[in-house]
Amino acid sequence: MLEGVKALAKGLGTTFKALTEPRDTIAYPEKRREYSPRFRGKHMLARDEDGHELCVGCGLCEAVCPAQAIRVVAAEAPTEKPVSWTNRYSVDYEVDLIRCIFCGMCEEACPTNAVRLTPFNELAAYNRLDMIADKEELLSPPVRR
Amino acid sequence: MIRLTIDDREITVPEGTMIVDAAAQLGIDVPIYCYHQALGPLGACRICLVQVEKMPKLVTGCTTAVQEGMVVHTRGAAVDKGRKGVLEFLLINHPLDCPVCDKGGECFLQDYTFQYGAPAGRYDEPKIHKLKDAPINDFIIIDQERCVLCQRCVRFMGEYVGEEQLLLEGRGVDTVVATVSHQPMDSQFSGNVIDLCPVGALLSIPYRYKARPWNLEREESVCPHCPVGCTTSVTSREGHVIRVEGRPVAGRNWGWLCDRGRFGYDFGYVEKRLLNALVEGREMSAAESTRTVGRWLDAALTDRGPESVAFLVGGQQTMEEAYQVARFSQEVLPGSRTAMVRTVEGYLPSGLNGSFQDIERADVVVYIGGDPYDAVPVVHLKVRERQRANPGLKVMGVGAYELTRDFHGAKNFTVKPQHQAAFLAYALAQAGTKSQAVEHLASQLGTYVPSLLNPVTPEEIQALGRTLLESEHLVLLWDGKEPEMESVLLALRAAREDATEVLPTFGPSNWRGWERAGIPAHFASLQTIIDDAAQGKISVLFVVGADLLRDYPDREQARRALERVDHVVQVGLFLPEEVQLYHAVVPGAGWSEVYGTYTNMEGRMQVAMATVQPPGQARPLRTYLNSWAHALKKSFVLESEWDPFDDDSGDFVPRESLPELRPVTVPEPSPGTPPGSLRVVGFSLVMEGGMPSEILAPRVPRFPGRISPQDAARLGFSEQGGELQLEGTMGKISVMVAPDRRIPDGILALPYGIHGSPLNQLGEGASVKAVRLEEVSLG
Repeated sequence: MLEGVKALAKGLGTTFKALTEPRDTIAYPEKRREYSPRFRGKHMLARDEDGHELCVGCGLCEAVCPAQAIRVVAAEAPTEKPVSWTNRYSVDYEVDLIRCIFCGMCEEACPTNAVRLTPFNELAAYNRLDMIADKEELLSPPVRR
Repeated sequence: MIRLTIDDREITVPEGTMIVDAAAQLGIDVPIYCYHQALGPLGACRICLVQVEKMPKLVTGCTTAVQEGMVVHTRGAAVDKGRKGVLEFLLINHPLDCPVCDKGGECFLQDYTFQYGAPAGRYDEPKIHKLKDAPINDFIIIDQERCVLCQRCVRFMGEYVGEEQLLLEGRGVDTVVATVSHQPMDSQFSGNVIDLCPVGALLSIPYRYKARPWNLEREESVCPHCPVGCTTSVTSREGHVIRVEGRPVAGRNWGWLCDRGRFGYDFGYVEKRLLNALVEGREMSAAESTRTVGRWLDAALTDRGPESVAFLVGGQQTMEEAYQVARFSQEVLPGSRTAMVRTVEGYLPSGLNGSFQDIERADVVVYIGGDPYDAVPVVHLKVRERQRANPGLKVMGVGAYELTRDFHGAKNFTVKPQHQAAFLAYALAQAGTKSQAVEHLASQLGTYVPSLLNPVTPEEIQALGRTLLESEHLVLLWDGKEPEMESVLLALRAAREDATEVLPTFGPSNWRGWERAGIPAHFASLQTIIDDAAQGKISVLFVVGADLLRDYPDREQARRALERVDHVVQVGLFLPEEVQLYHAVVPGAGWSEVYGTYTNMEGRMQVAMATVQPPGQARPLRTYLNSWAHALKKSFVLESEWDPFDDDSGDFVPRESLPELRPVTVPEPSPGTPPGSLRVVGFSLVMEGGMPSEILAPRVPRFPGRISPQDAARLGFSEQGGELQLEGTMGKISVMVAPDRRIPDGILALPYGIHGSPLNQLGEGASVKAVRLEEVSLG
């Protein structure tokens, strides 16, 4: 009987001690953790100061991607209506975020520094199609709050 | 033979072989930009540096012929240093814009820079800027900054094709490749410079920015557009054909293509492509159409029997598909007839059929009827290559106009239309041979004496006959006009001691293959079916992959036939002309969509792989045949693919023994063309006939008809030409014509199958009244 009371007291002691200790979890989404600026989250496509896309659709990211998550289709832009800084640009640029392993090889391969991995990591959707990020989506990168 | 050592391995090669070729035989790769075996050594790019023992400096492997006991090192510190230096020079003014360059990924400058080049350049000065992204014709774009001045393109066009349209301009670092007088390149072989360019200086416009090498699927194929059957590789991305390249076959061809073959691949995606079935004016699914067609077939069988059913095969169908039609006709509808749609009436027995190897050893090449440059362009290159190797090669033309282009010592015999067979028979008879076959021919000629349209002496005709009979390696290229020519060719073969090789330049491209598959090839079998149809004896007529009105020599008779048949069913890629005459038009699948074997003018069978899926509702032919058989409740099982290859003849269609000689008709002396009239001569023009293409649209000749400059002046046309209204006994058409100095007076040369100006509305050899409609200026 006495043994039981002792054990109970010991257990409760641990519990009450933990109440005052600092927490390992945070109250997500009200509070968010700080990540390293080099964290590899969702991709973005960058623009230059004039607003021209940096991506020229060379397809090196597609070639290097070990998960085959990227699809690039290039085209020639009319001279009077340039899309990127040169006459070649990407018409389609798709990243399959389900396939992507966030290794960052695309970022590394990009000769124009157009594709970059942002720290944004809140990737969830109600269906699979929404997990394929198209060019429009990548050109307006979400900001992590 | 010479023995030498390359990288510690011994090899024996013939004298005169270059080091790079000897190394290639050992599987050792020596980098090359400027050298090409077909063009010969030049030594412009210096990248092929190799070390030869006992030679003080590095030597270029492409200009150094092998010597007995030579010891060559293709790698090593000295060689790598030499190549590194060469690459540094090549890259001094190179823009390094690989990410936007279409060659990226399959570029030799990239590859060798990775392999031998320096990691960074030492040259900090500003680069020289030159012309970028400038089209040199409708298909090719030039980027002079990327050029390494290897001169392959310049030499190919100038020395090999003989159409000097590219040149080097400027001096030193300012040297650039440009077109002559900065005019667009209009050669029909222009596309080859894209394949030849080792860097990204000459690029294809239709392929521009379409894909990267790692996106592509590449399949081996055969060009379906003309009877040459050039070997190609077809590249596709995401189920679309986006490029066709030449595919060299070692020891057989260099992979040259004409522009029709290289850029005419988009016929699967043109607006005219049939994607749904059209039955009695109503669009429906292909599956639904098969039940309707099955009902018609069933009714025809019950009412009039299988004799009232006929199949016409045409277009670019494979041998396998022709075989399926033949079997369907024999097994499901025994008694029904098959034939192939032909444009010209001639037939060439397979025993006379030569091969391209015969051109490679020819002493005399005779063009009969048509110019290979128009009908089978790559054969023109083969004859030119032979003349480069053997300057004594005699090229002769026998036709209604001058056929030989700028060959050295070419001789033309311009004969009236329909007189070619008789003229050749006459020339043979004049040569004074003791051959029975020729004497037999001569006896049929009687007192016939040909009158030529160009000045030719009787001695020259005699000399022609003797050349034909006595030259050691004779190759004839026949365009299939005048069916009696077959007998003349047979007699010539019988009279000659040496081999007589004939290459048929007429289409359809795959006719020899269909013949092998069991479809009768003679024009007579087609004519019987058409005539029976015109008399109402045919109940269901299947036209597979052909446009009967466009291709049949007598358009009116074809129209009558289509009108009298109860149900005409067309299986094809495109809507035929005058579609209202057809009761059902069902979408078929074609080249690049079905696997199959094609037989070329040599009788050589070549396999073309399927690359993409047929679009829309288009189905392969066997699907339709199976479902029609099903609708008739008959079993038709195509369980195994037919293997067309023969045990003994290998790649070639087996050659059959030669048939009997048939009489040669002596043409009636023509009354002479009345003033203001022209005589129509058809020829096949690969750019004009055949399948539609949007890419090629700017290249299709605006003035397909050709008349003599004198006739043009008489009709009041300027140098550019204009529109001519032609009226014959069979009908009336208008056609755009331009003066051509090779055409004699009174002759109008017109390609077969021009849309809107069909020659078969007038008839081959018809005398037509020509009236000038209006002057058209090119502006």
